[in-house]
Amino acid sequence: MSATKTFTVDATARTPRAVTARTRRISKILRALPVRILVAVLLVIEIYPLVWLVLGSFKTQNEFLTEPSWALPSQVNFDNYVAAWTEGDVGSYIRTSLLATVPSLALIIVFGVAAGFALEVLVWKGRNQVLLAFLVGIMVPGQMILLPLFTAYFELGLAGTLWPLIITYTATGLPLTVFMMATYFRAVPREVFEAAALDGASVLRSFWSIGFPMVRNAVFTVALVQFFFIWNDLLIALTFITGRDLRTIQVGLLTFSGEFGQTAYGPLFAAICINVLGVLVLYLFLNQRVMKGLTAGSVKG
Amino acid sequence: MDNRRTRRSWRPGMTAAVATIVVALAGCAGGGSGSAADSNGGVDSFGLLINDDNQIVQDALTSLSENACSAENGALPLEIETTPQSGLDQQLQLRGGQDALPAQFAASGSPVVTKQLDEAGQTLDLEQALTDLGVRDGIEPAAISTIENLYGGLIVLPYQFNIEGVWYNKELFAENGIDVPATWSEFVDAAATLDAAGVTALSASGEQGWPITRLVSGYLYRELGPDALQEVADGEAKLTDPEYVAAAQAIADLGAAGYFGEGVGSIDYDTSVAQFLTGEAGMFYMGSWALGAFNDPAQNQIGEDNIGFFPLPEVEGGAGTADQIPANVGLPIAVSANGYNEEVGAWLGCIVDNYGSTSLGEQGTISGFTVNDEVSGVPPLTELVQDTISSTTESTLWFEALFGAKATTTSQQNAAPLVTGALSAEEFMAKVQADLDSE
Amino acid sequence: MHNVLGDRKAIAILLGPALLVYTLVMLAPVLWSLALTLFDGNALFGFEYVGFDNIAALAGDPRILSALGFTIRYAIVITVGQVLLGYLLSLLYVFALRRASVIVRTLVFFPVVLPTVAVALMFQQLFAIAPRDGLVNELLNVFGIASVDWFGSPETAFWVIVIMDIWRSMGFYAVLLYAGLVDIPEDVIESARLDGASGWRLVRHIVLPLSLPVLLSSVIFSINGTLKVFDSVLALTNGGPGDSTTPLTLYMFQTSFTYGEYGYGSTIALVLTVLCLGVTLLIFRSSRDDITKAAR
Repeated sequence: MSATKTFTVDATARTPRAVTARTRRISKILRALPVRILVAVLLVIEIYPLVWLVLGSFKTQNEFLTEPSWALPSQVNFDNYVAAWTEGDVGSYIRTSLLATVPSLALIIVFGVAAGFALEVLVWKGRNQVLLAFLVGIMVPGQMILLPLFTAYFELGLAGTLWPLIITYTATGLPLTVFMMATYFRAVPREVFEAAALDGASVLRSFWSIGFPMVRNAVFTVALVQFFFIWNDLLIALTFITGRDLRTIQVGLLTFSGEFGQTAYGPLFAAICINVLGVLVLYLFLNQRVMKGLTAGSVKG
Repeated sequence: MDNRRTRRSWRPGMTAAVATIVVALAGCAGGGSGSAADSNGGVDSFGLLINDDNQIVQDALTSLSENACSAENGALPLEIETTPQSGLDQQLQLRGGQDALPAQFAASGSPVVTKQLDEAGQTLDLEQALTDLGVRDGIEPAAISTIENLYGGLIVLPYQFNIEGVWYNKELFAENGIDVPATWSEFVDAAATLDAAGVTALSASGEQGWPITRLVSGYLYRELGPDALQEVADGEAKLTDPEYVAAAQAIADLGAAGYFGEGVGSIDYDTSVAQFLTGEAGMFYMGSWALGAFNDPAQNQIGEDNIGFFPLPEVEGGAGTADQIPANVGLPIAVSANGYNEEVGAWLGCIVDNYGSTSLGEQGTISGFTVNDEVSGVPPLTELVQDTISSTTESTLWFEALFGAKATTTSQQNAAPLVTGALSAEEFMAKVQADLDSE
Repeated sequence: MHNVLGDRKAIAILLGPALLVYTLVMLAPVLWSLALTLFDGNALFGFEYVGFDNIAALAGDPRILSALGFTIRYAIVITVGQVLLGYLLSLLYVFALRRASVIVRTLVFFPVVLPTVAVALMFQQLFAIAPRDGLVNELLNVFGIASVDWFGSPETAFWVIVIMDIWRSMGFYAVLLYAGLVDIPEDVIESARLDGASGWRLVRHIVLPLSLPVLLSSVIFSINGTLKVFDSVLALTNGGPGDSTTPLTLYMFQTSFTYGEYGYGSTIALVLTVLCLGVTLLIFRSSRDDITKAAR
């Protein structure tokens, strides 16, 4: 089982509080000024493009095509936002993305954590092989399953619904989740479960009331990672979603253009900004939970 | 748009979700909304599957459904379903494979695929159907010959009827003492003069590719005559033959001289239109579908009166003439053979009678249907195009019209590298020919 | 006791759903897809058994070579770039920024959550030359350098993709690696310091070896993701100019859905799968010993 160790993406294992003492001393070596400049440059590189994006969302089409790109918008009004929301269907794109992402995420977590538990804590013949089978799934590119699934969903009458997305996202998210959860469960001392078993708790009970809570913070990390995978997915959405009313935000943005390929920049930038703000709120919320998980350090290796 | 469908696809509750997945995957589930055909072989709605970027047809049909064809719409409601252009062929393949195409569908951007759909028995023979309905005369003869030329038979409706050529900025031409070029070398000279005057000579979207490859085919038709590309399709000639490479070379030369301006590969369609309409470019090779933009004062800053049109000029010593103008019917919309019934027939009759006036009157665009109601206030440029259409005796195709999907993509993708010099004319033609050979 | 932890019914309940979905939606389609490589055609015009013709066709297809070359080059450059920069960032977080790192971490991490298409469209504008110079060319002009047509040549287009993807993902890898660094026991570092190790020496001889496992995870994670690159390329360059930045994934997608060649599309997908499995196993094998050693 040394194999699983290499896949530890362990963001929850230890508290950073213990680290501060030593880092303080080490950091003395690094002079403060270069670090500050470095951080400033870093933040400009990361953030300025986004500021530029917001500024762009107020520009008219003509400003986009004729003014320098660093120029400030000549007015601040929300015409582009209105256009994006109404004509651009951004509201519906976001709703679709959420309707596809949330159920998939829930299924991935429930199925993945349970499977990770079964593969790591429980003792049975062949579990290494099953784990390996999941490992293969991490590496199989989505392209390998697209064509058969495409045909299958159509035959089953699922085309034109969100089910193809939910099912495919769940399946493609499982391998990594199972693997990561198995790794997290490795970090939980076996004695905990053995003691529970001695006390007469059933396996399902000790999974639900002992196992799951112990990796709860890891679950947030995994959910965060999977959320980005699903939210940012273009391949699966592009393949399975055909109608305008079921487009996810990625497909929606990609096709955010008029006849013969022109792009309406202002509304497009506004659409991007709407999404960025939505994601920002969600991200700050999730991020806080993960940070809490980090500091609580409830899983010890 | 269709809330019913979305709601059905989403049920809260883990158990329901799990159960549904298991059942669905075991193959017992049905009741999806993909199928359009009922057991009688007809359709239960007047569906239209169309590229989401083609707004003109959607708007005109929606308008018809609310006005002239409201009775037909009551019997069989219009239901528009859009798909990204990249996903259209894929939709056609799957739904065609299930005999589940909607009443009307955009039959691919590639005429080769349209013909395949016809061979697979998916498209309705409109020659027969419209004759039975007694409305065949409602389609302009020029449009019929263009359709037959392209698709081998009357299997699509001419919702648009476009011609292509060079639009020019009259003011810039006058300022620089340029006369409308009658030959290719005069055309090149005109470009050189404009370039020297500091304006982009030819506005073109390399991002789309097709505005450039259409120049290649334009040159080919002028050099070798209207059969130039048919011979390639028939295998009698190859694009790698020297006279074909010469056409690609002629366009590559325009690029090498910088006549398309900087960064042609990243200029999208809208930008190329804007460059012309803001007076930054002197000439613009484009189809008459651009009239919508030309007639829009918000976009057109040089003024309608300032735009002129000339067909791509003749190549000295070439077999083709300037009155052979490229024409097409826009996105081909076919009628499903399996979904056809009386109500669809009623819709078709109403469309043929009224589409021409609606399209011209409300949108200022030209369709291949006869205009049966008096339409007033047609913009002068639209009239110019109408006149050109009616005086055109022989039409030609675009470069990729007879190519399959793969060669079409290759040709359009490599158009920008051809004019930026990243690919030589020989390499460009060899790439496209290689894909033609493999099809 | 082992009887309880080996309860078959419980195993079935816990593992069943995941295994079922995984098998039906991933493993079975993989096999189906393998079978498709033996056919020619598509759903509309029917399939025809062609044996190994599709696989043989790979040898005579110049585009598969260029797609393969692009995919591998992209995977290597991006992996080196994002893991290296991510690691440097995580060192910065742990050793230089300390408490302030939460804000920086959050801000640098943020781009990874942005929709890929949005980021790609933004980069298109940043690197634009037509109709007006984008920010990057404007900056070059300030230094007297002529504007560059970034998307006009294969080489520059490649580097724009690289810059964009590293911009997007380095914060993500920084957080992954940060978690690994925080994991290093304090006493190890403490004793190294007592032995006189400090600064970069400390990093090189103590921190780096100890964070090797999580670095390796990141590399495998990254290679796996980058070999499958699709979204960013599709949205940024759509494979152009020409087909010079077309990865295997995009070539497969075009072949299947644009050209309607399901059989050959599956064959390209197979090439990609073999590549992913092969590379991962290779890295995994060659470094397993180091890991177990380092992990101990």
